[in-house]
Amino acid sequence: MIIPRIYSIHDRAITIEFSQTIDEHINMQVIAWQQEIESNPFPGFIECVPAYSSLTIYFDADCNIEEFKNQLQHKINIVENTTPLNITEKKQGVQPIEIPVCYEIEFGFDLPWLTSHLNMSIEEIIQLHIKNIYRVYMIGFIPGFPYMGILPPKLVAPRKQHPSLKIPAGSIGIAGKQTGIYPTDIPGGWQIIGRTPLTIFNKLNEPTCLLKAGDNVRFIPISKKEFDQFQ
Amino acid sequence: MSITILKPGISASIQDFGRWHYQKYGVPVGGVMDKMSSSIANIICGNEVNEALLELTLHGTEIVFNEDAYCCISGDGCNAYINETKIEFNRLIKIKAFSILKTKPTRYGCRAYLAIAGGFQVNKIMGSASTYVASGIGGINGKNLATGDIIQFTHKIKKVILDTSIQLGENGFAYTNWHINFKHQHNNSNHTSINCVKGPEWNLFNQPSQHTLFNTTFTVSNDSNRMGYRLEGNELSLIQKQEMLSSAVAVGIIQVTPKGQPIILMADAQTIGGYPRIARVCSTDISKLAQSRPGDVISFNQITEDESYTKLREQDKKIDQLKISIEMTNR
Repeated sequence: MIIPRIYSIHDRAITIEFSQTIDEHINMQVIAWQQEIESNPFPGFIECVPAYSSLTIYFDADCNIEEFKNQLQHKINIVENTTPLNITEKKQGVQPIEIPVCYEIEFGFDLPWLTSHLNMSIEEIIQLHIKNIYRVYMIGFIPGFPYMGILPPKLVAPRKQHPSLKIPAGSIGIAGKQTGIYPTDIPGGWQIIGRTPLTIFNKLNEPTCLLKAGDNVRFIPISKKEFDQFQ
Repeated sequence: MSITILKPGISASIQDFGRWHYQKYGVPVGGVMDKMSSSIANIICGNEVNEALLELTLHGTEIVFNEDAYCCISGDGCNAYINETKIEFNRLIKIKAFSILKTKPTRYGCRAYLAIAGGFQVNKIMGSASTYVASGIGGINGKNLATGDIIQFTHKIKKVILDTSIQLGENGFAYTNWHINFKHQHNNSNHTSINCVKGPEWNLFNQPSQHTLFNTTFTVSNDSNRMGYRLEGNELSLIQKQEMLSSAVAVGIIQVTPKGQPIILMADAQTIGGYPRIARVCSTDISKLAQSRPGDVISFNQITEDESYTKLREQDKKIDQLKISIEMTNR
């Protein structure tokens, strides 16, 4: 059974840490708590920030933190003492969100290195990458960057020793057990295997972000021609 | 109604209390570094405390007022002049059209705030006017202020602060006949003591490191900016090296890099981080810390979590009282 740890990261933010592992069931618990708090906000609630295995809750002066911590601990105890997964995640859409990806070397410029490192052909790498449905565990690092997993074990590769100075927006990367999408042009260290024509993060639109923690994602391979037609 | 930036100086940007409700999408809160000083400047101008204003880092800024206006400069890090006459901080000033405000070097502090009565007119992105340069969001085109930028302001000035009896002198400005009794936390010094409480990973650090944090001094490095203050000092290390899973971080968190260097996360910090967090700066002391400049010395003073909450509530009360007393004085 999970025994969460509750601690402050700010005078007006506390974190519930469920574990220190990347685990789908733990992350489901994180999202379930986020949904629970967002749909029944307490006085002073501002926002929730989900991560792999923790949920952080921000609030303002209207919330008495000592009282709030006690209530939260009490609520967690109730949940833990009855059934550990009593709070269940509401399905966020039955079908996974489909992300078209062009895996041409022009976009997936680390594919050649990966073929020798993983001892696989480019085609095998692509087939493995599109096989799984990935869960979005959290959004972070830069606005809109989704941390997704879990990659098939055969695709696990290290980050680059020297990060690229500019990874173009839409680039699909892999690192360790994770896969992600670069929302804007930025330096980065993940191995790049393709690019999506979709806008992942739009700083002017509401909602700003195509994906949120808890979503499921499937990558759909497209040709260079289809990629160009998208734009 | 507008001002024009003649010179931005070391750095100048439009800020308010930041972008809330978007951290789950990885968007940092951002906003003013020194909340206390910016609040004072806005309150004196009769604005809401979180109204957008200019954050002027150190010195070298030159601004021309294209119309008459009421304004206030608060904070530290520079001396301010209107048409070459030195002006007082934390005063409501009526300034005549075509006057030029300049900031010049001083020995202490790092950031001054220029508020204008009625507030600047800046487009809000995700609920905030704050400039977040790393993603090109907010302010003017997501950038720090540059020469030639024109910023509009409104004329919706609250009656309470208007002083119709003011006569503008030859130097192009005049103070209103009231002023507040307020002393900033920062102490005209290059050495600051900052209150902290133990962080989530305090117990993972070895005893010498725990001792070092609260009993030695650290220097603010040149690599410090709105995202974080990197500190130079004795190395801090874990009992046993380990990788941490990333989770949310907030302003004030003191995280320690694998090389043992502490970084204090500031306004523009990322939403999520993965370094062990030895301690966190109390929210009330973030403003004080934001006035430290590269080369300044910091020492950390340990207080309890409960003490930290109490201090924050007291600070909130102080700001509320100040707001009320200005309204009472000018009724």
